[in-house]
Amino acid sequence: MTAFLDVLIGGVFHASVLFLVAAGLQLVFGVQRIVNLACGSFYALGAYFGITAVNTAIAAGVPPWSFILVLILSGILLAAIGPVIELVLRTVYKRDEAFQLLLTFAFVLMFQDVLRFFWGANPQTLGNLSMSYGKVTLGEVSFPTYNVLVIAASIGIALALGWFLQRTRYGRILRATAENRDMAAALGANVRWINASVFTLGTLLGTVGGALVVPTSAASLDMPVELVVEAFAVVVIGGLGSMRGALVGALIVGLVRAWAITKYAELEVLAIYLVVIVVLVARPAGLFGKPIE
Amino acid sequence: MDNKRRRLLQALGGTGVAAAASPFLSFPAIAQNTPLRVGIIAPKAGIAGTVGECGLRGTLWATERINAEGGIAGRKVELVIEEETNPKDSIERLRKLVLQDKVDCVQGIVSSGVSLAMGAVAEEMKATLIFWDGTTQDGVKETMEKPRYVFRSTDNECEAVMASLLCVKYWKGQFTRVAGINPDYSYGRNNFAAFQALLKKFGVQFEVVAEQWPKVGTLDLTSHVAALKAAKPDLVFSSLLFADLPVFMKTAHGAGLMDGKTKFAFPAAGFQHTGLKKEFTPEGMIFGHNTLYFAKENPSPLQKAFVDHYADKYKDYPHWEADRAYFAMQVYKAGVEKAQKAKNAWPSQNDIIDAMEGIEVTSLGGPGKMRKDHIAEQTFYQGLTTHKNKYDFATLGRVDTMFSDQLQKPQGTDFWKWIETANIKL
Repeated sequence: MTAFLDVLIGGVFHASVLFLVAAGLQLVFGVQRIVNLACGSFYALGAYFGITAVNTAIAAGVPPWSFILVLILSGILLAAIGPVIELVLRTVYKRDEAFQLLLTFAFVLMFQDVLRFFWGANPQTLGNLSMSYGKVTLGEVSFPTYNVLVIAASIGIALALGWFLQRTRYGRILRATAENRDMAAALGANVRWINASVFTLGTLLGTVGGALVVPTSAASLDMPVELVVEAFAVVVIGGLGSMRGALVGALIVGLVRAWAITKYAELEVLAIYLVVIVVLVARPAGLFGKPIE
Repeated sequence: MDNKRRRLLQALGGTGVAAAASPFLSFPAIAQNTPLRVGIIAPKAGIAGTVGECGLRGTLWATERINAEGGIAGRKVELVIEEETNPKDSIERLRKLVLQDKVDCVQGIVSSGVSLAMGAVAEEMKATLIFWDGTTQDGVKETMEKPRYVFRSTDNECEAVMASLLCVKYWKGQFTRVAGINPDYSYGRNNFAAFQALLKKFGVQFEVVAEQWPKVGTLDLTSHVAALKAAKPDLVFSSLLFADLPVFMKTAHGAGLMDGKTKFAFPAAGFQHTGLKKEFTPEGMIFGHNTLYFAKENPSPLQKAFVDHYADKYKDYPHWEADRAYFAMQVYKAGVEKAQKAKNAWPSQNDIIDAMEGIEVTSLGGPGKMRKDHIAEQTFYQGLTTHKNKYDFATLGRVDTMFSDQLQKPQGTDFWKWIETANIKL
């Protein structure tokens, strides 16, 4: 039971971070029809910028316990790069998908140099700050309280996104645009503004995700690629463009990975992609995607 | 200013200094006219970026000192620096250094994958190449039995052998349940296998209760730690390195893996030593600092000067890659000067290579030599962690020092047979 709980918590924690990045990917694809490879770079930027923000805040006398708020705020602030990137993306909206992929991949490479320029090649960490909230102990199982807060934050963001997309007027406009872009434009939706705001929201999910995970991990130049690979598995399992799919896909990937690591450590990646293949064969559009015509 | 122009100006500057010093030097005219060009190939980004950066700093420091003292056999050293990336591109940069930049020697390389591919190319091109790290081996199997132009570092497994010996020395009888978490490539696999082979050699009864193989660069190790914890090991052996190690340490601490009596050995901890903060790095763990332990008691004046310079300039403390880079430059310098002295004229490439075989030098971390089979021998440092220091990270309380002739196989022997038969003293 102890081992099961340990594995379960590890899997859910991984899934919660994965969800944030995959949700950004889904949102951008759903509305803008762009597969944004740079989502991993936003995640890495969030991590690096979060470290700088926390160190600056603590040096300025902000109490260390408030670092989680500083991280969330830094992620939100950093999302300001979203509209700038979106301006460049406008040049490929109507071009072949290969151009879009190439452009977003170019951003991945450029951001890697940006990270290296500002923060250097050395991995950066926040020391042991994540332990400043203490541990939660359940019998023999113990884990940092901070991890629970990250899981809670991820659930909170998922609920807020769900409410925003389902219950608000702007959310309905977004869904209508995702459904039929030309029709939404004909009915008066400001598609240019929608594109910019959706891309910024997608960026924000990535930057906040990166900022939240960095106290338990490290910021390194390779983190964008590693995460994108798993985020795409989430998207394929959940269904491209589906937020519910991002949630369920992230949970499946997180838990399958945790289980595989415990039972057959060598099969960590294979286990995830076995699920991807099964989903692709049984439901080519993913668990929550629209059937492919 | 473009690179060509910068190099030209550096060369002119070097020539001027050499010319000014000419009345005091007895080297032939050619030696005073052109700088000695050394190509460096080192990673600047990615997982090994931090390693390459530290190595480059070691090379720059060595070069500054050499040039301040008149150069190598009277010729100033000029560096041409290229980036180490994947094997294919790194080999292209080697070709560029040799064919276009006309360097006299190439040094660097951290990745075994790159060195394995590059070694054969350097032999074919007849390019003098001294590796900082990595090896030209396929795991522990030698792929270049009699290289002429390639000189390689000590075996990557030296630190695993030493950490295993220290596990036996300090903890024999205190553990039976053994777990491993090691990077999933030949280095991690061989290190864990070597650890088990050495336990067997020294009659330690043990059982492997968990093996974890995260790929290099895995930054979420929560599930790996959960699996280790579930196995309830008495001893965890881990050759994790790069950013993965501090992440593991933090995660293991947070999950309570370090709360009990479990012992830990980290042969490659030195690569990330400043990131292993006291808050989550307990005392009493075996840490490997490889060929440079920056906080050694009573360091040599050379080590002290370098560590002080490094701390002052970079606000950081160096690890072993700086020593490897310094060692490579010193081997080349000593080889050139020995050959020059023997010939009383500027030596040929073959003269220099012959001179480097068996040469002894003092590196930052201590004495070293280049074996006649072109494999380095150096001094290794490991020990038990302590918090009793002025830093915010763990250092070594008790330090063990071993020369690599006790840690690496002799020429032409099989690594696993060597472990079985070697007369290794604890």
